[in-house]
Amino acid sequence: MNVLEIRNLSKKFGDFIAVDNMNLSVREGEIFGFLGANGAGKSTTINMISSLLRITKGEIRLLGKDIVKESKFTKMNIGIVPQDLAIYEEMTAYENVSFFAGLYGLRGALLKERTEEALEFVGLGDKHKALPKSFSGGMKRRLNIACAIAHHPKLIIMDEPTVGIDPQSRNYILNSVRKLNQMGCSVIYTSHYMEEVEEICTRIAIVDHGKIIAEGTKEQLKSIITDTKETWISVKNADRLDLDALKQISGVNSVRLEEQTVKIVSRGEINNLNWVIQVLIRDQVEISSVEEQAPNLETVFLTLTGRNLRD
Amino acid sequence: MNNILWIVRKQLHSTFRKRSSWIVYFGLPIAAILLSMLIYGSSSGGTLNVGVLNQDGDKTLTQDAIHFVEELNNVKITVEDQASMNKDIASGKLDSGLIFEDGFADSVRNGQPAHIRIVSAKGAEVTSYVKALLEGHIGNVASIGQATKNDADAFDAIYADYKKSSFKFDSESLEDTAKFKDMTYQTIGFLLMFLLFSAVNMSSLILKERENRTFLRLLSSPLSARGFVLGNVLVTFIIQVLQIVVTLLVLKYAIGIDSGVPFGEMLGTLLLFSLVAIALALLLTAFSKNSRGANAMQTLIITPTCLLAGCFFPAEIMPDTVQKISSFLPQHWLLDTITKLQDGQAIGSLGLNLAILVAFAAVFTLVAIFRFSRNNDVRQFI
Repeated sequence: MNVLEIRNLSKKFGDFIAVDNMNLSVREGEIFGFLGANGAGKSTTINMISSLLRITKGEIRLLGKDIVKESKFTKMNIGIVPQDLAIYEEMTAYENVSFFAGLYGLRGALLKERTEEALEFVGLGDKHKALPKSFSGGMKRRLNIACAIAHHPKLIIMDEPTVGIDPQSRNYILNSVRKLNQMGCSVIYTSHYMEEVEEICTRIAIVDHGKIIAEGTKEQLKSIITDTKETWISVKNADRLDLDALKQISGVNSVRLEEQTVKIVSRGEINNLNWVIQVLIRDQVEISSVEEQAPNLETVFLTLTGRNLRD
Repeated sequence: MNNILWIVRKQLHSTFRKRSSWIVYFGLPIAAILLSMLIYGSSSGGTLNVGVLNQDGDKTLTQDAIHFVEELNNVKITVEDQASMNKDIASGKLDSGLIFEDGFADSVRNGQPAHIRIVSAKGAEVTSYVKALLEGHIGNVASIGQATKNDADAFDAIYADYKKSSFKFDSESLEDTAKFKDMTYQTIGFLLMFLLFSAVNMSSLILKERENRTFLRLLSSPLSARGFVLGNVLVTFIIQVLQIVVTLLVLKYAIGIDSGVPFGEMLGTLLLFSLVAIALALLLTAFSKNSRGANAMQTLIITPTCLLAGCFFPAEIMPDTVQKISSFLPQHWLLDTITKLQDGQAIGSLGLNLAILVAFAAVFTLVAIFRFSRNNDVRQFI
């Protein structure tokens, strides 16, 4: 059964089309990765699912019900973890969770129980009396999650929940997502960290210019680009590199420079490494190592959209 | 509705857990009352200080006249010489000076009272009381002089009988309500400003909610944007009711100032103004991009309009043009209503004033709602 179904969804801001006839479904019990570069239409879509933005055309159904016509039902069953921290600094952790849970109709003993449960879940049970201003970035992110789950939503939308936090908190949050999923929650997960998406998502959609350009499991996505290969060449004096010359080599799809590594995606059937090395030698670029990479989500994304996720 | 009450509960809790809120919402209006007392309380102490300069010697009629003034209620006399009297009147130490010039007693005895002067730097307000009563006394004695026509023995005999006569003289002091009315006017003037500031504080809170992103989380819950705004309006109204009630109770019971207006009528009128203040806050919310903008607008709007409307001093002392401008300000109509109620007009006869206040509230609210509803992005509802 589909928890979420998006049909022919469009959103216009004046003449600008932010989401263009999008179709998408999220199945019950899955962690759905939603990938897209900045401005691809990802946040607009999420805001429409969360009823924060009016739909221009199409429909969104949550658990079979139209989110516009059944707004209250929809909101009761969705939990939002926004990218920006949405907590009150002057209220304690307990008061924050309790207040937001109260907006979903929880009161009395049940409210207390769910608040404590949510705080325990994110590992802040012993900090319930503390003010968020005394928290680290990671703890605030965890509190941000607790505020979204105390009412036991069926679908949780997590928008960049691990931005700017330490590895320990990041692991804690990723484990929490897995646990929530095991408890029966479906999750829509967006992140700029491709390895996170690859690690926890069961299915992934890539959105670009307001459209879904690919959708499937990570294996299915990688299979899309078996006809390409990626070569990483570490160099010592990258400033001498002529990237345009590399792009003009036969079979090269894209070239990018990350710190001192040149990453070249080429068509799989063409062996153009000699030509690449000749260009580097001509430019007097000193080569440290050459590696051929197995396809990953990053490559898939780059191949399909022509840009990095962080662009 | 439950969610709106939940918002009200949270906002009240957040507001009153801060000590500064208690000071701002209740401390400042009480300070305004004390300031009003300071301004108007010292203007009249209830006792007239009268300096007496006797240039007529020890004549019985002169001494009796001085004694008569001394016996008057709320009058304190000081015997002075010419130089000290002028100095004390100029410095305000004396309210007035009574000069019995040489020949006073003889003129009274002849039935043609003269050679008496009363001087003051404060005008008729402080001289009329002593003057009226002393004229009565001197007039009576002069009548004896006229009747006896230079017959000194007859005058002395009748005057002695006159002095012995037992008059039943009941004296009752009436409260000086003018002073209390001035204090009330001043206190209400300050209170209006505080009500406007506390209402506009709602704009800042709402806009900060948007800046802090908590607004998005609130809107993704079953709470609607309208419900959120309504919750904040209710919170502000509750706070304003408390501010008004506390101020009026302190004014009446703790300080003992009778505003001259029945409590219910005063409360009702101020609550009407509170709605105007909240409507203005909604308008500011609708037109402000962020809380800093709202704060700038509140500074630009509230203080100058309060000044023009006469919240800090009576509008009558301002030029005609300014008085005309003040007619376009809600504070003016509220103060005008209070003044008329103090003057004894019935609330029913002030329908126009009240209707104008309702109109201000309605127009501000409608413009704000129009502005809100034009936005198709729910996140930008406020």
